[in-house]
Amino acid sequence: MVINVAKTYEEINEKIRAKKAVVYTAEEVVDLVKKKGVEKAAEEVDVVTTGTFGAMCSSGAFLNFGHADPPIRMTNILLNDVQAYGGLAAVDTYIGATQMVEAPKTGYGGAHVIEDLVAGKRIHLHAWGPGTDCYVRKNIDTYISLDDINEAYLYNPRNIYQNYGVATNTSDRTIHTYMGKLLPKMRNATYSSAGQLSPLLNDPHCDTIGIGTRIFLAGGEGYVSWQGTQFKTTVEEVNGVPVGGSRTMALIGDMKQMDAKYLRGLDITGYGTSLAIGVGVPIPILNKDVMQRCAISDEEIFAEMVDYSLPTGRTPMARYNYAQLRSGTVEYQGKKIRTSSMSSYAGARDVAETLKDWIDNGEFLLNKPCLDLPKEGKLKGLKERSE
Amino acid sequence: MECKYKIEFEEGAAQESVTYILVSEFSLKPNVLKAEIDGDGSGKMLISLKGEEDDIVEGMEKLKSMGFKVTEFEGHITHDMDRCFSCGACVSVCPTRSIYHDKGTWIVKINTGTCIGCGSCLGACSVKAINLVI
Ligand code: SF4
Ligand code: SF4
Repeated sequence: MVINVAKTYEEINEKIRAKKAVVYTAEEVVDLVKKKGVEKAAEEVDVVTTGTFGAMCSSGAFLNFGHADPPIRMTNILLNDVQAYGGLAAVDTYIGATQMVEAPKTGYGGAHVIEDLVAGKRIHLHAWGPGTDCYVRKNIDTYISLDDINEAYLYNPRNIYQNYGVATNTSDRTIHTYMGKLLPKMRNATYSSAGQLSPLLNDPHCDTIGIGTRIFLAGGEGYVSWQGTQFKTTVEEVNGVPVGGSRTMALIGDMKQMDAKYLRGLDITGYGTSLAIGVGVPIPILNKDVMQRCAISDEEIFAEMVDYSLPTGRTPMARYNYAQLRSGTVEYQGKKIRTSSMSSYAGARDVAETLKDWIDNGEFLLNKPCLDLPKEGKLKGLKERSE
Repeated sequence: MECKYKIEFEEGAAQESVTYILVSEFSLKPNVLKAEIDGDGSGKMLISLKGEEDDIVEGMEKLKSMGFKVTEFEGHITHDMDRCFSCGACVSVCPTRSIYHDKGTWIVKINTGTCIGCGSCLGACSVKAINLVI
């Protein structure tokens, strides 16, 4: 007998409140579906939790400092000597993860300011303004902490990339990229997706994830606020998932709830600063199709290797699945290439397990999206014109 | 057995004399892992010694009596597990495969016993979790 399972958000939330929801991580569910079949698994499981913990460069935070007496309209703002945006209202700002500290200092940036704030550290605020009739003050030099500013929320325009490429280097010299240290003559290759645990590889067409989905964001509750920038749906699919960078999400979340354990200010040699963030997305098992897609394993998810020593025209050289990549070596034309991950699988697992605990304990309810993500998205290049 | 020592010296040409003494007088097999010598001839070297325990102990006593500063160490690398988030970026750049993922937990670990202190992993780590002792 084929049972046509169909659950609703309300039914699942009811079970979560009663602490009776059955929750698996996207890793654990692979075996369950293999053992019991997708029908049975879909009946049994209510929620699958996913996770990823890696560099997400397009991240940053909105902050409101509160007014000093007399007040200032800040137009030039430094936080621990990192420039924050001065084009918002008087004491609002946005600090971006990749903004680097003012020279001659190095190795620190907006990402580190965000991590330090969440870790409870005091941050040096130095700001200047024009001095106007309503905001007479021209500068302020003080220290702030997360507790004593009004609002602080991450707003990341592009996070949790749905898959990504594999980087290698065919040239004769070591190159330093945002995909890490790439040794000469293809002595290594790096990859960056959490594969079978990665949020958007478990719901590849965003059947359940939408605008308003409540998520785990760096140890606090966050939301999917919009499609991410460079959202595209045109990438070739194998086993139902794209073989390269595809969909992305814009995420938002209150920094005051976050745990610095799930944030890392990064200083990537030869590139600059970035922010590693732990993000987890719960997937409600509404029916067996959703279950089927959550059962995808590393063996079934592929990524393409490209040569980062080429300035342009990086065509795919080979395709590997994540089980091969995670084994530590892949083969290319008979030659063994050692592999490194850029995102933390241990961290991804920690995120998925923590989110699972929250749901098990009835502390985290699912939020039904208020709007679907686009079904189609194409990437445009930048044209150079004279006018 | 095998032991590792940091040997610091004030004079030039110490590297040759140290290894010569250890080989000829104590039948030890020294392997210089790393040496740093300053312009004035002073410096330090990291050395791995294979041989009988008694010979190693006596060899080191001899070096001390000659004015060298001798310190035993286990690894010449430190790994800050609080900063490290087990991304794995350092794993494939280590020539001695001393950095690895624990197969069960996927936490990144360093085998200090096989690390030769080459420093290749330092620039690969974006949170500066790895540091060399020397
Ligand atoms: S210093 Fe060299 S040998 Fe030691 S762990 Fe780092 S890369 Fe490996
Ligand atoms: S690169 Fe740094 S953070 Fe990443 S695993 Fe190695 S030591 Fe840990």
